[in-house]
Amino acid sequence: MKSTANPTANPMIVLREEFDDWAILFDPDTGNAHGINPVGVFIWKHLDGRHTGNQILQKLRESCEAVPQDAEKEVDDFIEDLVKRGYVGYEA
Amino acid sequence: MHACGNFLRKGEGCPYSERSMSINKDREERAYPLNQIYFYLTEGCNLRCRHCWIAPKFQTEKRSYPVLSMDFFRSIIKQAKPLGLSGVKLTGGEPLMHPDIDGILEHIKRENLNLTVETNGILCTLEIAQKMAACKNPFVSVSLDGADASTHEWVRGISGCFDETLQGIRNLVDAGLKPQIIMSLMRRNKDHMERLVQLAETLGAESVKFNLTMPIARGEKLHESGDTLTIEELVEIGSWVENTFSDSIELRIVYDHPPAFRPLGKMFGDNGDGCSRCGILGILGVLANGSYSLCGIGENVAELVFGHVESERLENIWKKTVILNELREGLTERLEGICGSCLMKNVCLGSCIAQNYYSNKNLWAPHWFCEAAQKKGLFPKTRLRPSNSNISSND
Repeated sequence: MKSTANPTANPMIVLREEFDDWAILFDPDTGNAHGINPVGVFIWKHLDGRHTGNQILQKLRESCEAVPQDAEKEVDDFIEDLVKRGYVGYEA
Repeated sequence: MHACGNFLRKGEGCPYSERSMSINKDREERAYPLNQIYFYLTEGCNLRCRHCWIAPKFQTEKRSYPVLSMDFFRSIIKQAKPLGLSGVKLTGGEPLMHPDIDGILEHIKRENLNLTVETNGILCTLEIAQKMAACKNPFVSVSLDGADASTHEWVRGISGCFDETLQGIRNLVDAGLKPQIIMSLMRRNKDHMERLVQLAETLGAESVKFNLTMPIARGEKLHESGDTLTIEELVEIGSWVENTFSDSIELRIVYDHPPAFRPLGKMFGDNGDGCSRCGILGILGVLANGSYSLCGIGENVAELVFGHVESERLENIWKKTVILNELREGLTERLEGICGSCLMKNVCLGSCIAQNYYSNKNLWAPHWFCEAAQKKGLFPKTRLRPSNSNISSND
């Protein structure tokens, strides 16, 4: 559980936003692409090293309706997946 | 404030569909099972479709053409199962013209293989439909190229075939199958899309798929004569189908443009229909004469025929054919042109290698649709690999 740490997006990763609010994350080093839905885009934009996972979730609840009860785990899992891909790190 | 919609939940039915989707190739996990064989059962066909990419010979009561022998069929199935075979597709020509189609369907059922059939429906009696329905996971698609007889028969070249096809579809539905209706788009029938969907709903179809007419064989001539649609029209219609039309009706609608033109949410969202990944690395074609081929393209491109069932073991064909191994090694890094720059290339795999080779004699050539769209400035910019000068965060 990293909800209290400050995740930071890898500045090399390119966010490609699309007309339907989905987006593609592109890693120029590997050529890999990774699609994320609008909630994922919201989270990605808050991975600035100034917000903890819990704070991002709070902002999400303020901005969106019907955020599910288990959202904390989903947000954590999402961020951890990005960490594994090398798209996100944590502020020391 | 807006609703969170599908939040971050996992989607279903696609290896690339997670809370987000990975558009990458996991090379280490590739073992290349032979998942499916496409059997082109007959060299002849009972229709003369002006767009057909196989271009079979027109068969009548007076003139018939070779069909795949049952011995070859059984032998290939027997050899393919240890290689991973889980399903077969029966196509043609017209697969239901095969004189032993009953025996073929019974063998597929006995071997517990998934069944896919592509047919024009004309010979689809209730009895044959019931035999298809008895197989594992049957999926039957029927070609219908217009919502009325004159349009469909203009495309199909035979008077009276519209009503016969509708009866074939009804027989499938009566047998408990919900077929997919496939319409190949061209200038003559482009205004039939909505009416065709209404007709499909009335008939009890599961879905309607709109195919792009491929510039191969007769389809190439149709492109040259201007009877197909322009890239501008195809892109515009695709956008309308994806973003407006498909949301307005209950029936599942598929517009068969490459994944680069598909909204991510339509593929990977909660109600997404998957990434329609090209199966090229897990399929093999068998032509009516018993030859192995990349797919049906072997009917028109001799160098994409790999050997014959009488003289070659299937295992050798599958594991040692140079072109198949080149594809395994080269996809997707060797794709050229717009396909090499596309962020969806690991989903799409060049869309149709057979088409790309037919047009350019090059396995790695870009797909005609994407190339034409790029030339007209219609290729989605967000799906293109950013140029070095554009690579900065949040491009």
